[in-house]
Amino acid sequence: MSIEEKLKILADSAKYDASCSSSGSKRENNNGLGNASYSGICHSFSSDGRCISLLKILMTNCCIFDCKYCINRKSNEVKRALFTPEEICQITINFYQRNYIEGLFLSSGIIKSSDYTMNKLIETITLLRCKYHFNGYIHVKAIPGASNYLLKKLGSLVDRMSANIELPTNNALKLLAPDKNQDKVTNIMQFIKENKSKNFVNAGQSSQMIIGATNESDLNIMQMSTNLYNQYHLKRVFYSAYIPVNKDRFLPSLKMPPLKREHRLYQADWLIRYYHYKINDLLDDNHPNFDILLDPKTSWALRNLNQFPLEVNKASYNDLLKVPGIGPTSAKKIISNRKYYTLEYNDLKKLGVILKRAKYFILCNGKYFTNNNYFNLNFIKNNLLLEDNIDKKVQLCLFNE
Amino acid sequence: MNDFDVYLYDGSFNNLLNTIEILIKEKIKPIKIVSEECLENDLFSNIKKKTLSIDNYFAKYLKNISNDFFKIVYDVYLSDNQNKELIMYYFILNGLKYGSKVIYLRKLKCVNEALNISSYVRRESHKLKGFVRFRKLETNFFLAFISPTNNVIGYLSNHFKKRLSNESWMIYDLKRDLLSIYTKNKFMIIKVKDLEKNNFKFSSDELEFANLWNIFYKTIAIKQRTNKRCQMNFMPKKYWPYMIEMRDLVEKSY
Ligand code: SF4
Repeated sequence: MSIEEKLKILADSAKYDASCSSSGSKRENNNGLGNASYSGICHSFSSDGRCISLLKILMTNCCIFDCKYCINRKSNEVKRALFTPEEICQITINFYQRNYIEGLFLSSGIIKSSDYTMNKLIETITLLRCKYHFNGYIHVKAIPGASNYLLKKLGSLVDRMSANIELPTNNALKLLAPDKNQDKVTNIMQFIKENKSKNFVNAGQSSQMIIGATNESDLNIMQMSTNLYNQYHLKRVFYSAYIPVNKDRFLPSLKMPPLKREHRLYQADWLIRYYHYKINDLLDDNHPNFDILLDPKTSWALRNLNQFPLEVNKASYNDLLKVPGIGPTSAKKIISNRKYYTLEYNDLKKLGVILKRAKYFILCNGKYFTNNNYFNLNFIKNNLLLEDNIDKKVQLCLFNE
Repeated sequence: MNDFDVYLYDGSFNNLLNTIEILIKEKIKPIKIVSEECLENDLFSNIKKKTLSIDNYFAKYLKNISNDFFKIVYDVYLSDNQNKELIMYYFILNGLKYGSKVIYLRKLKCVNEALNISSYVRRESHKLKGFVRFRKLETNFFLAFISPTNNVIGYLSNHFKKRLSNESWMIYDLKRDLLSIYTKNKFMIIKVKDLEKNNFKFSSDELEFANLWNIFYKTIAIKQRTNKRCQMNFMPKKYWPYMIEMRDLVEKSY
């Protein structure tokens, strides 16, 4: 089989993994080829608008498992291919020298056994690091069920190692991935957390959940991801709208992947990690799913209108963050600028505040943007929905680095 | 002195700083400061050149205000903004007046402009760190063409100096005729005229890897998620002609 054909098969079967992030590593060039960029670098954007940063491929798409949602499951009749370690190195090195990529994201189907597959991955990465002196970013997927000493070995060679939780509950996992169980995955996470250091998975671990293949609520999903952040110190949880690749009576038949829902989950994830929200602020048993029409932050603000309007010249940093249309960057700018002068509506735009959203929730130097009587739920909600409708033409963009 | 004078500098950062230093000292408000290269016939203005001092005392003095402040001044110099010299003049004037806190005074028009320009320059430089495409030559040199809006070849060279330190490479800015050449831990940026850009001979495996990259690029996209608008937002079309994976698309669409 030609190398072109292999690449086609093994990139095609790797493309459903959402992660392409290359940030968080401080690896330096040690008289070899390449270094990591702490903030990450996107090298291209594919026609689906996703960032291409890493050469994302499988070592092989052969697999002894039969996960129902996966294109590579053993019961599928698809063309199978296997890269040799040398082939993977040649492509990585040559792509990297030409600045096509930031590094390698290597994952694999399971051949023979978990440990056998792990050993093959280790062989490949060792060759890349030691023979080719490659110091660029490497992300590998750990194989569920692999022995700890192999996890230790592979982790000491790479910037990121991760395991996908795949589904928000163990029951869902049992249903769709009978060969896997959550313990196998969380064992890997626990091991990585305990061993993390400058020389072991220095950019931390991430994970991915498939959204919409089973019928869990957004609340279930957020509970799982919060648990992963807290318990295993994950850097990122990726949410991946389910794309039907197989027909199976256990799988829903969707025409379009639930992209809007995926977007809401990313927004909420962001709020929890960077804006100090708790899940219960955003969802509860009576409202277990996000509003598709309004983003989670705006929905929260509308439910808590009694905390508004906030005077931007006085509000604390944490309070400013609660205003729709104000993010960490603009909140910091507000704080640093208002020390020296009183902010007016005109100034806020210069500080990066999205005024068409924020104006409903703030006072500027004591003034509301319009008559005070309009500060009520109906007026604000209707206006926001109207504006979002006008903006509808703008397609959603994934959260990139 | 006359407030309607146009002042000339030689295009370099140091010369521009010196010119601004003298204008400030002599309390002159220029209506225009232009680089010699960009000088068009301007019959109604009185064109003057200020003699420059050779020391870089003023640069040091500005650096002392704060490093962030000085970096912004430099970014404004690198930008392609039509008015950059005047923005720099007023930004420096306010820097001298308010000290390090000047970068928080967005209320002032020139401060707001300088800060916006600076983040534009840095954004473009960051983007190009990813979008630059090298091709391997017969001589094992790696060569990239760029045509950035702002003059970011220096930033890029510093980046690749660390990343591709054991390689030899060249980056050629077609818009400014600037060539950065790196070998053996050092790079040099020189002005070149009439570089024959079609005369390079590529290494024998160049086509093979370019082809593999194109295959990868096309394969990795998920059809059901197609989102061209998003692609274009993150990767503006002006960069496509220099990215091998986008070239067929450019030829069709331009
Ligand atoms: S183990 Fe991985 S590759 Fe194999 S079927 Fe399951 S998801 Fe697919």
